[in-house]
Amino acid sequence: MKRETDRPGSPTVFHERRTYRRRRVMDAARVAPILALILWSVPLIWPQTGDGTVSSATALIYIFAVWGGVILLTWGLSRLLADEVDEPPDTET
Amino acid sequence: MSTLNLLVAVCTAYVFFLFFVAFAADRLALQGKKAWLRSPLIYTLSLSIYCTAWTFYGAVGSAARNGFEYLTIYLGPTIVMVSWWWLLRKLIRIGRTQKITSIADLISSRYGKSSLLAAGVTILAVIGTTPYIALQLQSVTLSFSVFAAQSDGLAAQDQARVALWLSLGLAVFTVLFGTRNLDAKERHDGVVMAIAVEAVVKLVALLSVGIFVVWGVSGGLTEALNRIDASEFGEWHTDRSRWAGLIFLSAAAFLCLPRTFQVLVVENDDESHLRTASWAFPLYLCLISLFVVPIAVVGLDIMPDGSNPDLFVLTIPLALGENGLAMLSFLGGFSSATSMVIVAAIALSTMVSNHIVMPIWLQLRPSGASVSGDVRAAVLMARRISIVGVVMLGYLYFRLSSGGEALASIGLVAFCGLAQVLPAMLGGMFWRGATRMGAFAGLTAGFAIWLYTLYLPSFGVGTILPVAIIDNGLFGLAWLKPDALFGIEGMDQLMHALLWSMLFNVVAFVGVSLVTFPSPLERLQAAQFVNIFEHSTNARSWSGGTAQTEDLMVMAQRILGAGEAQALFLRHARRQGARGNLPAPTPDFLEALERELGSSVGAATAHAMVGQITGGMAISVEDLMAVADETAQMLEYSARLKEQSEELSRTALELRNANQKLTRLSIQKDAFLSQISHELRTPMTSIRAFSEILRDTDQMTPNDQSRYASIIHDEAQRLTRLLDDLLDLSVVENGQVNLNLREGSLRDALDRAVSAAAIGEDGVQMAIERDMGREYIVLHTDLDRLSQVFINLIANARKYCDAQTPRLVIRVMQETDRVVIDFHDNGSGIAPDAVDMIFEKFARVSDQKAGGAGLGLAICRQVMTRLGGSVDYVPSSRGATFRVVLPYRIALAAQ
Repeated sequence: MKRETDRPGSPTVFHERRTYRRRRVMDAARVAPILALILWSVPLIWPQTGDGTVSSATALIYIFAVWGGVILLTWGLSRLLADEVDEPPDTET
Repeated sequence: MSTLNLLVAVCTAYVFFLFFVAFAADRLALQGKKAWLRSPLIYTLSLSIYCTAWTFYGAVGSAARNGFEYLTIYLGPTIVMVSWWWLLRKLIRIGRTQKITSIADLISSRYGKSSLLAAGVTILAVIGTTPYIALQLQSVTLSFSVFAAQSDGLAAQDQARVALWLSLGLAVFTVLFGTRNLDAKERHDGVVMAIAVEAVVKLVALLSVGIFVVWGVSGGLTEALNRIDASEFGEWHTDRSRWAGLIFLSAAAFLCLPRTFQVLVVENDDESHLRTASWAFPLYLCLISLFVVPIAVVGLDIMPDGSNPDLFVLTIPLALGENGLAMLSFLGGFSSATSMVIVAAIALSTMVSNHIVMPIWLQLRPSGASVSGDVRAAVLMARRISIVGVVMLGYLYFRLSSGGEALASIGLVAFCGLAQVLPAMLGGMFWRGATRMGAFAGLTAGFAIWLYTLYLPSFGVGTILPVAIIDNGLFGLAWLKPDALFGIEGMDQLMHALLWSMLFNVVAFVGVSLVTFPSPLERLQAAQFVNIFEHSTNARSWSGGTAQTEDLMVMAQRILGAGEAQALFLRHARRQGARGNLPAPTPDFLEALERELGSSVGAATAHAMVGQITGGMAISVEDLMAVADETAQMLEYSARLKEQSEELSRTALELRNANQKLTRLSIQKDAFLSQISHELRTPMTSIRAFSEILRDTDQMTPNDQSRYASIIHDEAQRLTRLLDDLLDLSVVENGQVNLNLREGSLRDALDRAVSAAAIGEDGVQMAIERDMGREYIVLHTDLDRLSQVFINLIANARKYCDAQTPRLVIRVMQETDRVVIDFHDNGSGIAPDAVDMIFEKFARVSDQKAGGAGLGLAICRQVMTRLGGSVDYVPSSRGATFRVVLPYRIALAAQ
């Protein structure tokens, strides 16, 4: 995604950086579900039998830890993207 | 008071509480105090409609049977929610802009408002949801029977009565709060509020049981984890294909289930709520599933063998004497079941009434929507009947299936069925090339395979599908066995059905989309959907404007209600600046009106209704052609203008050329005059000089006298010749010459010319070669003039040929339509830069041999032009060649 063009007269350096950051946050929001999917696909490669099988408690902790991480990540991204989404000014932020 | 009676009392109280909550919420909404009612929190909680009794009770059961597999049901929706930025935001924006009322409406709207597609998706949704409603009824009756077992048990008859009363109660609730208003845009505040409350009850109930189990029974988190490791769970044994497949399936279902679509898209009030829900709903799901495994493990531990693990959430507290907790847990399950039924009934009734009942109703009324009948009442009635119908269908299914194990697996079967909508939905949102035929083909293929491989077999072997088909395949073809299509055996039945149905669905959808051509309306909608963020205005424009605003008013009042319709019309009248209260039926207004109506009765129906009154069906091909015609006319007009201006510039160019020619002629005339005066002056000067000498000189020898006199004579002769030539030329040029046409042979003319010109004044005879035989051609022309041309050419050759022994070859060639006479000498020819000039007046090739005035060839050319032929200089490798051409036409005329 391309950055917005410079607006002459505005504090371009600051503006540029902010716009750039926001674009990257959007990118992050796009790839977040892929990250979640990949992390939750990890159990697919756990051995089913024999040595190295993962205990249920560990599996449970892993899955819920990822869950917590995903929730935190999404929460962070959703806060960063607040300006982009809210049609009427959001009272929360 | 027995436990059962207490249960009934609590249940009734809870239901009344829900009624009160819904009622209060509706009242608050009417008073305009929506801020709290429509907070992101309420939106998030309403999404929990995804977690039904099947997940409330069934998750523990599933965990007890299949280990961690139950988690996939929550992981899929979590991933979808995390994809809010690129997926859900777009979906909701589309839903809000296009006033989508259901998933069927979304598909129909995207694919050119196809009624067929809408009806198809509706039928699919009804087929997929009815068993699900039955499942909810079953879970409630099962939980009732658990409590009843504590006292005197619950007879099958009583179970059925519980289910019946429950479904009736739910139907009444849904009718009351689900059809209070027609406009889906206003949304069901009461219902959403009640669902949010139920969501909290669900969560609190499950968390309470979980906390009780972990800290009360197991004695702490570490002990609980140890217990899990020590239990049958032991290690990670989850079928890989099911793990991946179910994550996909639950994600798809979360998007496509009518009830989740209803709360996610239709009931969404503010896009920014999604921002909160994106993390809050995953949190909710996480919490809901957090204690499922500990509960299952403890249940397997302490409950007697053979007890139903689906009911552990209830039976564990009961077994341990925690009646209060059991009651809370029961309410949680009850909440899950009721909220699901309510929202599913609302969503399905909207679809059924908009896409099946209303189109049929409109079809049956040939008079049209504006003429008779109260449409508003009809729509509401259709919706109420649909709600009761849907709930009762669920009840009927419950009774018929007699609530066995088969019902428990129906959840995933329904997921798989509704997931068939996913390709058409996502394709419609992200791919402009998706067409109606493609969507139809994909849905049909997926639906058919799902029906055959999963849905029908789910009723049990031999119930609907005969045993023969299951054992031997359809028509006895082994590769058509419902559990092993194409001979691929040994797959999990659900994964098998999911794989093949989605595969054929996507392939048919993409393939048919690629080869079909969408209608204009489809293409407009495609652009609207795919580029929803670029242009959020509506492109479905009405053309014509023949609609009668009064008729529209009458119709709108029936659907929207009098007050609202009048307000809408007034608003548009003000916006248009109209004087009265009725706006002009501009395309903008019609579009807005259609949107408003669409949010009540669905896009396709609204479109049809406005279409009936306006007399036009949206942008038809005819409309586009009319537009194209106009464009063509404009193009034609501009082409004509262009042509005219080109003509003008052509004329100007011609005028300019003519002017240039005149100027050139004027210059030529001046040049000619100066040339002619020079030519005349030279002999005149010598004549005057010598005549003066003769006059003024007294003693002059007769010799000199005669010499001077002969000079004067020569010069006078030269002058005469010049004047003759000039006269000749001007006569020929002006076309005043009278041609003396007569018959004669070409040979005679040549003979005369040769005899006159071959011997010069110096007496040198030029060798002339002729082929007499070919020269005998009878001509009907001016032979004297022709001879004059020949004489000129021969004389020129004699004068200018610089060879040692000058020779002239005269060759006559008779062609089909002309006679060509070449005069070819063996001299050095004419210098290339002089060739252009030789036919001009006063042009002489060399000064030293200046015999004439330089008018000969000019006269020749003029004469030949008059005779209809030409004379040209033909460049050749050696010698000069003059070619005289006489058109055969004249020669023919002579014969």
